[in-house]
Amino acid sequence: MSCEDELTVKVDNVSFSYGTKRNPCAKTLKGITINAQKGQLIGIMGPNGCGKTTFMRCINKVLKPQEGAIYIDGKDVDRLKMMEVAKLCANIPADVPDDFHLSVEEFVALGRYPYVTGIWWEGEKDERLVREAMAAYHVTHLRERKLGELSSGEKARVLLAKGAVQQPKILLADEPSAHLDLKFKLQVMQALKDLSRQGVTVITASHDINLIAKYADLVIIISEGGILSYGPPSEIINEEIIRAVYGVEVLVIREKGELFVVPLRPADPEKGNNEDPGTCEKGIVAD
Amino acid sequence: MEGTKADRAKLKLAIIFGLGTVSLLFLFFISITVGEVSTSLPEAIQSTWNLIIHGGEAQNTAELVILNLRIPRTLSVIAVGIGLSIAGAVMQALIRNPLVDPYITGVSSGAALGATLAVLGGVTIAGLANYALPVMAFIGAATAFIFTMILAEAAGGRPISYVLGGVIVGIALQAGVTLLMYFNANQLHGILFWLFGSFAYMTWDSTLIVITVVAALTLVMLLYAKEFNVVLLGDEQAKQLGMNVKGFKRAMFMLVSALAAVCVAFTGVIGFVGLIVPHLVRMLIGGDHRLLLPASMMFGANILLVADIVCKTVVAPSELPIGAMISIIGAPFFGYLMIRMGKEYVM
Repeated sequence: MSCEDELTVKVDNVSFSYGTKRNPCAKTLKGITINAQKGQLIGIMGPNGCGKTTFMRCINKVLKPQEGAIYIDGKDVDRLKMMEVAKLCANIPADVPDDFHLSVEEFVALGRYPYVTGIWWEGEKDERLVREAMAAYHVTHLRERKLGELSSGEKARVLLAKGAVQQPKILLADEPSAHLDLKFKLQVMQALKDLSRQGVTVITASHDINLIAKYADLVIIISEGGILSYGPPSEIINEEIIRAVYGVEVLVIREKGELFVVPLRPADPEKGNNEDPGTCEKGIVAD
Repeated sequence: MEGTKADRAKLKLAIIFGLGTVSLLFLFFISITVGEVSTSLPEAIQSTWNLIIHGGEAQNTAELVILNLRIPRTLSVIAVGIGLSIAGAVMQALIRNPLVDPYITGVSSGAALGATLAVLGGVTIAGLANYALPVMAFIGAATAFIFTMILAEAAGGRPISYVLGGVIVGIALQAGVTLLMYFNANQLHGILFWLFGSFAYMTWDSTLIVITVVAALTLVMLLYAKEFNVVLLGDEQAKQLGMNVKGFKRAMFMLVSALAAVCVAFTGVIGFVGLIVPHLVRMLIGGDHRLLLPASMMFGANILLVADIVCKTVVAPSELPIGAMISIIGAPFFGYLMIRMGKEYVM
């Protein structure tokens, strides 16, 4: 890899539970340990409710883990003020507030909030960064438009621009491409990849295994709150692990160093190999 | 365009304040000419000038009326217009719903119950005879907010808990008002007059209280205009941008409710302004609170003053309730804007 081996995120044996002392409940995260290098794009996979989002919320201190510690650039997140965390770590929300008549430019500028020192207005440096980010994500022509008037693809680019303007060391993106068509999915993932090549550690959760396989440097598979597997996508994504995590039979095709996952049918819970008469995908794909 | 975005915004701000102030001054002089005995505009200006050069000593009846009735009334209309509009804009941001008004935490129902009790019971507080009604109304409003807060905090303290808590408390207290009115039908007129909202009884003392509270709380809210933009992103996003969202929202809920309570205590329930003015201004100049809050203040003060002037003139020497008048003026205007702008902007 071209990036230097600098550690940006160290997650040390983190456990988290949504329960309280009076009302305990099972742990959502159990002893997660991860070391992420500067400039890596890390994809998190796992079924619904496995703890992906909880894990990402712990990294930027929205949630406080009961056990373990998280270090960003060697600093214990728990000891940092939220304002300091905000300068290290940005996240891409799922959607924009679209019924308050905020313009694209005003929205992107909100990413500068942790840096603004004046009472009211952003400084010249903030404005320059906002202009640059809008240009980089091709939304300059939309600057005066209201968020409510944008298409899904435009919203995704505006959200990325807001994240970039925050100048983070780590960018968290939970399902950044969920509502997008194929072209925008690729564009968003490529944008995340470009950011990682500029030295930002990008951590993204997605249900789209093929996108993760194509773009991620490392994949973390979380199942029932713990890490099931961790490594480069080509090494850890295979039929067995997908069946174990998602309960789905897939066909994994490897070609010219790339990896494609084709879902076939829900796996039989008994792990037998009964043919499902209702599916015909297997025949098509096998050819 | 030349200059930075901040420079352009500052220019817009100057225009908003400039136009708003000129228009308010113009309306101010119209407002002090009309009443039970109307005077001409030159006379009113002359009287005001005399009052200024004589250090506030009235030389004749006309000056006395202007000094003790019309000027305080006009100033309190401006203050309440500013207070309700900014309270509405802030509440909409806090709850992240453009359809809430500053009374959402139950303050208007609480104030109504307090005022009804004051009228019916003939409550007189020692040495504060003139303030029995506003004091009772304010106590009612504050109590309603405290109930709402207890309910909301017990349910997790989220903005939606405040809305639901406020609705529950509001309905319960409103039922109290209805029952009191039902059993005291002979005194309905006194209660209704307050419920419909009126500036007819504003004295200098009351006016100074309203102005002081509105000025102080408005200033605090203006200082946090940037934060209200961040709040729009939702609690989690605001938190991860470094804001202490929970503490901020809790403090602001209290300030907005106090602001609404003071306005409602002295002048009765005036709807529409707190809901529609911020909405309307958002359509015209956008959602950045650094422009939205000042523009709402100016617009709210102007439109309420127009409504008060109309109330005083249409059926002179009698008066119409301003709560109804503001809605009659505002609704068609808002409807027009909705049709014109609704196609461009998502509502």
